[in-house]
Amino acid sequence: MKTKSALAIIVTVGVLIETTSIIQYKFAYDGIREEVQHRAESELKLRSFEIRNVMNAVEVAVTNMAWAVEQNLSQPDSMYAITQRIIECNSIIIGSAVAFEPNYYPQKGRLFSPYSYKQSDNIVRSKQLGTDTYNYHDMEWYTEPMRKGQPHWSEPYFDEGGGEMMMSTYSIPIHDANGRAVAIFTADVSLDWLGAIINTNKLYPSSFNMMVSRTGQMMTCPIESLVMRKNINDLAAEIKDTTAALINQRMMAGESGMASVTDENGELNHVFYAPVDNHTGWSMAIVCSDREIYYGLRQVSFNLFILMIIGMLLLGYIIMRTARSAQRLQMVNAEKERIGSELHIASEIQKGMLPKIFPPYPDRNDIDIFGSLVPAKEVGGDLFDFYIRDEKLFFCIGDVSGKGVPASLVMAVTRAQFRTMSAHESSPDRIITAMNEAMSEMNEANMFVTFFIGVLDLPTGRMRFCNAGHNAPLLIGSGVGTLKCNSNIPLGIMQGWKFNMQETLIDCGTTIFLYTDGLTEAEDSEHAQFEESRMMVVAQKALADGTHNPTNLINNMVEAVHSFVGNADQSDDLTMLAVQYTKPQKDEKFQRSLTLTNNVQDVPQLAAFVEGVCEETGFDASTAMQINLALEEAVVNIMNYAYPQGTFGNINIKAQANDVRLKFIITDSGSPFDPTVKEDADITLSAAERPIGGLGIFLVRQLMDSINYERIDGQNILTLRKKLPNIN
Amino acid sequence: MNVTIEEKDDALVAILEGRLDTAAAAEAEKELTPLYNANGKDIVFSCKQLEYISSSGLRIFLSVLKSAQPQGSHVRIADLNDDLKKIFFMTGFNNLFEFV
Repeated sequence: MKTKSALAIIVTVGVLIETTSIIQYKFAYDGIREEVQHRAESELKLRSFEIRNVMNAVEVAVTNMAWAVEQNLSQPDSMYAITQRIIECNSIIIGSAVAFEPNYYPQKGRLFSPYSYKQSDNIVRSKQLGTDTYNYHDMEWYTEPMRKGQPHWSEPYFDEGGGEMMMSTYSIPIHDANGRAVAIFTADVSLDWLGAIINTNKLYPSSFNMMVSRTGQMMTCPIESLVMRKNINDLAAEIKDTTAALINQRMMAGESGMASVTDENGELNHVFYAPVDNHTGWSMAIVCSDREIYYGLRQVSFNLFILMIIGMLLLGYIIMRTARSAQRLQMVNAEKERIGSELHIASEIQKGMLPKIFPPYPDRNDIDIFGSLVPAKEVGGDLFDFYIRDEKLFFCIGDVSGKGVPASLVMAVTRAQFRTMSAHESSPDRIITAMNEAMSEMNEANMFVTFFIGVLDLPTGRMRFCNAGHNAPLLIGSGVGTLKCNSNIPLGIMQGWKFNMQETLIDCGTTIFLYTDGLTEAEDSEHAQFEESRMMVVAQKALADGTHNPTNLINNMVEAVHSFVGNADQSDDLTMLAVQYTKPQKDEKFQRSLTLTNNVQDVPQLAAFVEGVCEETGFDASTAMQINLALEEAVVNIMNYAYPQGTFGNINIKAQANDVRLKFIITDSGSPFDPTVKEDADITLSAAERPIGGLGIFLVRQLMDSINYERIDGQNILTLRKKLPNIN
Repeated sequence: MNVTIEEKDDALVAILEGRLDTAAAAEAEKELTPLYNANGKDIVFSCKQLEYISSSGLRIFLSVLKSAQPQGSHVRIADLNDDLKKIFFMTGFNNLFEFV
């Protein structure tokens, strides 16, 4: 997954969560708003109710006492007692007067108004208020009830020079027996308790309640200094928000409702208002700051937002991690697939390194070979190889330490080394020594190879061999036995080790059986091994049955191993190579011989000899010339190289023919000289690049069917063969 | 083995007769010395009577060619019989010489 799509997922999830949060916030906000409105309305109702209770008590007291006033209209002075009485009975009434119409009691002067009042010492005193200087007929508390004929609560006022408190006067008209309004009975009520009632409960820590009179006088408010000093209209003017003025209008009109106002500090406030009662025209308001109302919600929302951010970061991290591990998994899988296919290819390459066409030499009757290699894994460390050069069979078997790819690499190197080193060297000890030097030198991983090389001289059956720590091969011919061989040490372990060569004569019909320890150490499910003894039994049975030819022998061996191992996994590479020497001995029907000195001037003698032989054996002149050339080149080579300048010796040339071929055996007693290991001339070079010499042995190979060199008993023996002309 | 050198049409013609085997090679090479100083003249080996040639003989042909080529001489082989031509082909000498 790409980072881009991970980002898209995060953004989508983010948008979804954000939308949900906004919707949730909106619902919660509306819910809280309703709740606050509800609480504010209840609060307003409750406070109004409490205020009404107090005022009601005053109204009841005044109304009851008005009856006493009306009963005692005939006795003006009793009014002092009545007013005193009402003050004494009602703690919040601190003043009371009965103000008569002008000249109601002519004897009392024009204005008569007995008045009782309570001062801070709680002693109730009385006096006559109606004087010429105090003309109460113009006062609101007198004119309003008179005009309406109804009780009246005056606008609140501040009792300066008296109780130093906010007051309101309740006044009711007094009627005489004829029902005429003759006086106004008043009770001055302290409004100190208003503040206490209004502020009993706060909806929020900094919310406050306030009360205004019908003219907009501030009756209670948290700022003490404003009470009775400021009209709310002036206050509203100070705040820029025009909503404040609107609220004032509504409150003064006795309406109820709510509105939001931004105050001078720029803070949003919600105002809930309702009239206290209809008589007074007072109105009450609760002011709550928006910040406080929604503080909880905003706090929760903020926390949710933080949580959401953390969640999204976490989600992003998880997606990234998942994507990365998915990518890694994909890469690992691709890598695995790649390695798998590479292993498959490697396996094919390795198989390609092994001889796989059997019988490998269908034209030859002197040799039969079969080999089998079953790796435990795709690739393995076992190898076998063989090829014929100059009538010599070079064959080998090897087992690289370890298994799998590392072993297979060493196997490939070993096989290449075998081919390279044996191309121009026929002694197995020298081949193995050279291989050991090369492999020890580059052996960083301390891998080693047990290895066995045999060089079977096909004309003679003489086998030279050299072992490097490998299992000794079996010889199955006249009985079954183990080839006696020195084990030496495996290849790659120690530089400078001198491997020694051994030799033996292989009888016609004998099978050389080579194997790796994958055969003897093949395990069944109980980890029991196949062992040498079982192998010997199979070999002996094959010999007894006459089925010890390479193909049958190895098939029998494979069968025996399979039935022994059963269902157990193959634990090691299983490799077998069988070589049977089957050279039929044919009678030589023709034999001639010639001995020369190591002098090139003897060459014409050779030409005459060869011409004679060729004529007798039926070769045409053209082929005879070629055979002649081959013999001359071979012999001149020996003259030049086996006998160094200044030494003398003989060279014997023996010509033999059977029904099939003509052969020349050239024998000399000079120093060891194997012309077959000389590199072939490169015939593609230009004149300038071509060396002058080096064509001799090349021509011999080209002209004859085979060339074969052996050094036996201090003599160089070179054998050249050519099929007779009538043989295909 | 008979070797004769003639100058004909501004070319050196070496007439080889008989068997050019290892035994004859040393003497033949000596007699062919003038060919090493052809001085840009073309060289022709006339091989009508050549019966046999060994690698020592081929060596001489190659030596002459190696010395003549830098001097700007062409080396041609004339009238070589089929058996010997086979040897030239076997050794890749057919790529080095012009046959006429």
